[in-house]
Amino acid sequence: MAEKVLKKEKVGEALKELSKFRLFAPSKSNGTILYKQIEDPSDACLDFGNTTVPAKKIVFPQTETLFRFMLGNPELKEKNVEEEGTTVVFGIRPCDARAMGIVDNLFSWDYQDPYYLKRRELTTLVGLACIQPPSINCFCTSVGGEPFSEENLDVLLVDLGEMYLFKAITEKGEKLKTTLGSQLDEAPSDAVKKSGELADKANVQIKRTIDTKGIPEKLPTLWENELWKRVSAACLGCGICTYLCPTCHCFDIQDEVEGAEGRRARMWDSCMFREYTLHASGHNPRPTRRERTRNRINHKYSYFPSKFQVIACVGCGRCINLCPVNIDILEILGQVVDA
Amino acid sequence: MVDNAKLKDVAKEVISREDVRLLIGYRPGTYGFRARPAFVENSDQVDELIFSPACVSNLSSYLTLEEKTPLPRGVEPDLRKVAVMVKGCDSRALVQQLVEKAYDREHILVLGIPCRGVVDMAKVENRFPGVISGEIAMEGDNLVFSFDGKEETVPKEELLAEKCKRCRYPTPLISDLLLDDEVERFADDDYSDITAMEGKSTEEKWAFWEEQFSRCIRCYSCRNVCPMCYCEDCVLDRLKPVWARRSVDISENTVYHISRAYHLAGRCIQCGECERVCPVDIPLMLLNRKFYRDVEELYDYEPGIKVEEKPLLSTFSVDDKEDFIL
Repeated sequence: MAEKVLKKEKVGEALKELSKFRLFAPSKSNGTILYKQIEDPSDACLDFGNTTVPAKKIVFPQTETLFRFMLGNPELKEKNVEEEGTTVVFGIRPCDARAMGIVDNLFSWDYQDPYYLKRRELTTLVGLACIQPPSINCFCTSVGGEPFSEENLDVLLVDLGEMYLFKAITEKGEKLKTTLGSQLDEAPSDAVKKSGELADKANVQIKRTIDTKGIPEKLPTLWENELWKRVSAACLGCGICTYLCPTCHCFDIQDEVEGAEGRRARMWDSCMFREYTLHASGHNPRPTRRERTRNRINHKYSYFPSKFQVIACVGCGRCINLCPVNIDILEILGQVVDA
Repeated sequence: MVDNAKLKDVAKEVISREDVRLLIGYRPGTYGFRARPAFVENSDQVDELIFSPACVSNLSSYLTLEEKTPLPRGVEPDLRKVAVMVKGCDSRALVQQLVEKAYDREHILVLGIPCRGVVDMAKVENRFPGVISGEIAMEGDNLVFSFDGKEETVPKEELLAEKCKRCRYPTPLISDLLLDDEVERFADDDYSDITAMEGKSTEEKWAFWEEQFSRCIRCYSCRNVCPMCYCEDCVLDRLKPVWARRSVDISENTVYHISRAYHLAGRCIQCGECERVCPVDIPLMLLNRKFYRDVEELYDYEPGIKVEEKPLLSTFSVDDKEDFIL
């Protein structure tokens, strides 16, 4: 079947068509690029590096009602995710899409998380290949990804200058291709070849790399190594590295009551916070930022791979770019290798 | 600018002192033009220390951030001094911490750095994208960027942090050792943006802040980096009773930011760290500077100037203005 392209002048039209679904795309808010639900196509911004907050927030919202309850009424009113309807994430970077695939392991492991999994089922991911790595701290190629990775995407768009190559990868992707029918055009004969060349170029532009082989096996042997004190010394204990990580998935559950009514809600939590492991007794098994930093790295590079055979890091570089005190996971991993 | 060879010599002397257990300074970062905090425990580690316009962090926050675990029986706590490098703005945090009796004066040894300004790293990375490793120096009114074997000179005005363009106290207000000649005040805050904001209607102001606060992800980096936010048990972490819910929405986010701004009234020393670290670019200094100006105008008080001063909100004078009380 002939390949299709989406001409840039038709992007607005295509987004308008897709806005009949729950459509998310990168959008500029006060200079910060964030995913936003798009009603007006002009709000979308496809000329971006990567969003500050990863697309995980669309399938795993930072705050989510699980059910509502009322005094004197034994019935719980459960949230129906189905009602949210078909969701399209337009312009997701390949690393963020890979991350969702990684997190799927957790939410479908010992318990089938109905909220997350339903939302994943309803969501179509339209990826935008990285012609250039969005930041100098991108290291996707070190952890199994690529700037043009199709893993876990339904559609991959490749910026060819005047147009995007529109590559449907899954059945969901094919469906979207049909939906967009009239907005798509036949691809010029050299489009696929051109895209391949761009992919090769992009791969070699990743400047920072690390050989991750052996790290998952080595980490458990470094539990009391002095490196943890050194790499965590500057840590402020904020939630940037975890909240903005596309694979971090820890959550807290709280009941919020107002008068005779209330809701049970879950919300992102961070292992970098003191209260994360604080016991009711006052004891804290991770008493300082040294233990918390050690946990963050171990979870991604040891516990998760030992359970699911995949490193829970996609090399998006957000934790490095946005850390206020330049704590750098690549440097930490380098010290693990050298230890 | 501070001579880095001299800085290392001083640091070596200081960390070799028997009454000093730790020296907090700066060292080169892991990528680009960045610098990061350095924690020096012995004289072998001083060689990595630097000071440059890339040294943006306010290191005084670390004096109150340290988490102490219970000591094994028979082990005495290490009560030796912590030496800390501070720029003019950062030094005011030390003063204010001392005003509030956060720790004893003998607990710290202050290495003062008269400062001509630090960069806005976001602007620098915009100007020189993709640089793997480089250095920044200041020569007169220019910033000199060295990378990939070349040098580029940029007028400092273009890439300086906004707070530095308003800096009233470039020379540390407290120091045991001053690492360079004093720097005269070269700027002031004209509050023009605050005045413009005050001129807006309540509806406009609310719309503005609603948009800003709606981006907040409550990572608490603004709180954690703040040298004046050092409560061991923050009201925002309390689960019983809940003062601010953990849910992230415009209502709870607003509670968070307004609470923090009020807790900093008469205490914020204008280091601008909260705004620098915010991953979603919320202009927090607009709030903090509004309070700062109000405090200055109403009570003729600037926090973080004199160690002998009393905290503003725990003093009372019969002459205090009260015409704003409804």
